[in-house]
Amino acid sequence: MNRISAVIDRFGRAVLDNIEEMGKILILFLSVLMWMVRPPLKLRLIFKQMEFVGVKSIFVVVLTGTFTGMVMALQGYYGFRMFNAESLVGSTVALGMTRELGPVLTALMVTARAGSAMAAELGTMRVTEQIDALSVMAANPVKHLIVPRIIAGVVMLPALTIVSDFMGILGGYFVGVPILHINEGAFIKNITKMVDLGDIYNGLIKAAFFGLILSLVGCYKGFNTTGGAEGVGKATTEAVVLASVSILISDYFLTAIMF
Amino acid sequence: MSSISTEAKVGLFVLVALIILGYMSFRVGEGGFGLKKKGYPVQVVLDSATGLEKDASVQIAGVEVGRVEDISLRDGKALVTLRIIPEITLAKDAEATIKAYGILGDKYVDIAPGTPGEERIEAGGQIARTGRQADIDKLLSELGAIAGDVMEVTASLKNTVGSVEGEENIRAIIHNTRVITEDLGRIVRQNDAKLSLMVENLSEASVEMRRAFATLNSIVEKVDRGEGTIGQLVENKEAFDNLNQSLASLRNITDKINRGEGSIGKLVNDEDTVENLNASLQSLGKSMEGIDRFVSKSEQFRTFLGYRGEYLFDSGDGKSYLDLTIRPKEDYFYVLGLVTDPRGERTVTDSTTNGETTRTESWEKNELLFTAQIGKRFKDIALRGGVFESTGGVGVDYFALDDRLKLTFEAFDFGSDRNAHLKTYAEYRLLKHIYLSAGWDDVISNEGGESPFIGFAIRFEDEDLKYLLGSVPIPK
Repeated sequence: MNRISAVIDRFGRAVLDNIEEMGKILILFLSVLMWMVRPPLKLRLIFKQMEFVGVKSIFVVVLTGTFTGMVMALQGYYGFRMFNAESLVGSTVALGMTRELGPVLTALMVTARAGSAMAAELGTMRVTEQIDALSVMAANPVKHLIVPRIIAGVVMLPALTIVSDFMGILGGYFVGVPILHINEGAFIKNITKMVDLGDIYNGLIKAAFFGLILSLVGCYKGFNTTGGAEGVGKATTEAVVLASVSILISDYFLTAIMF
Repeated sequence: MSSISTEAKVGLFVLVALIILGYMSFRVGEGGFGLKKKGYPVQVVLDSATGLEKDASVQIAGVEVGRVEDISLRDGKALVTLRIIPEITLAKDAEATIKAYGILGDKYVDIAPGTPGEERIEAGGQIARTGRQADIDKLLSELGAIAGDVMEVTASLKNTVGSVEGEENIRAIIHNTRVITEDLGRIVRQNDAKLSLMVENLSEASVEMRRAFATLNSIVEKVDRGEGTIGQLVENKEAFDNLNQSLASLRNITDKINRGEGSIGKLVNDEDTVENLNASLQSLGKSMEGIDRFVSKSEQFRTFLGYRGEYLFDSGDGKSYLDLTIRPKEDYFYVLGLVTDPRGERTVTDSTTNGETTRTESWEKNELLFTAQIGKRFKDIALRGGVFESTGGVGVDYFALDDRLKLTFEAFDFGSDRNAHLKTYAEYRLLKHIYLSAGWDDVISNEGGESPFIGFAIRFEDEDLKYLLGSVPIPK
């Protein structure tokens, strides 16, 4: 009897903890929104975060985008060859990149690169009591630390995604036309015919959401770190896992809503 | 590198991203984006919009001129709204058809823009005419039915021709045809002289006829010129005066008759006489009918020319018949013909030497035999009698299937020394002039002459002969 109640107890606590965490993230988000519209904006801090989140992620995003496009072209080619429809490879790559793979892969890469860094940075600041020091200096830590990161995430993710989309299609083109000898005109014609502006823009809207999720989760995990250096490591791991899972799950719902 | 500020890096990156976005939007949005604002809507009602989707291409002659904006249902039909770019004008008699790129390809709307001079369809207007869509499902089901039919045909062909038996039959038919044509060739060669004689005679006859006509013509001309008795009668003034006088006296006489004077006058004015006269007139009418019948005789009169080849299986010989059937009336006919019998004509010679009678039989090969028969037809049965293959005989024909099928039995050559020649066969009209026959020849022969045979015949009506013979008086 005791045991059963203990299991139920633990389950209930886990649910409550999760809900509590979600509530805390939401409260953090609301306070971010509140502080975002309250001037003065710390532009220098924002640009610094943008450079960190965006510019410094270009290389890894270009790499993943290009190779994803290339492998999609290769795989699509084997499928479409059965129907003599090789020229559809281009549009498949373009649609796949703009609608799904561009935003999601970019978001995952940035989560791994920048989201984890945010959690680690803020966590270290928390455990070394720098955040407390900021509060003492009457500088709101949310405004100084979190708002720039979130703005950087929301703005930079779409920019990175469009680069990723483009590089993916370019990669698909280089595999399709020179290597697999698909007719160039049909390849490009099918891309422009099948891909709509909506596909690109909805992908970018998704990317902005993912940017919000990964920076928010990273900041929350770092901001609420406890337990010294070990706690920082734990916070970083949790931030990456939670952000990645949230991105993939929210991707489904965003897709269902938008397309 | 360190000289580049953070802001510059971010700004450069965002700028690059925006340029890429702009480029992609431009490439992708060429058709769709501008159209939604500028193009004008046109509606078309289709029986079915199967496979057609929103934003599907609208094309004229394969060039995209718009997109499908909306597909909805109206009165059980598909109402498709198209958005056409403004540069394109559609005439009132434009026609819209749903087509597909290949079999598996996407559907699109193909528009025939109509006559350029016609009134144009305004924005929001409707394309009234729709083309028949090539429905791939319907096509496939029809193809399936056709394939089924073809399969049935090939299966039955396989059963008939494909079997060993069928192959043998065909080989036999080809062989027989060759034999028959060879026979025909031989007959023509052998009888070349006779035939040419016949033709010569005919041409002589026609010369004679021409001469006769010429003579007739000259007589008529003479009459015209007043030569000879009749001519003078016609041409002479004196004769004409005489005739006039005669007519005047005739008038005197008729006047007298009218008045009842003299014996004829009494006769005419008498009732009995009138009745007698009536009766005479009636019989005259009958005579006229007879003349009519005689005149229409040449219409009823029909002649048929026929060739029949028979292949006798047992002896391997061919037998050929050349027939001229003259049918003056529906129910009776004459048959004249030539027959080549491979066995030829048999002549029996009895010679008595030293009180011993020896009989020698000799067959004259390649001799022509003659056929001359008269026949009468009673509904489906025709009886014939006369000369069969240069011997006396009788025959019965039974007609069935609207005369397409003829069953024939013939008996002839009733010599005392041998069994009568009996022949029975069926003949079937395959095409208009082509007949196939099969039967048994010389059924009860005691000389081993009996043989099954198959034959082939050509028979057609000869119009020229008909008129030639129609002028020959035929006893009624």
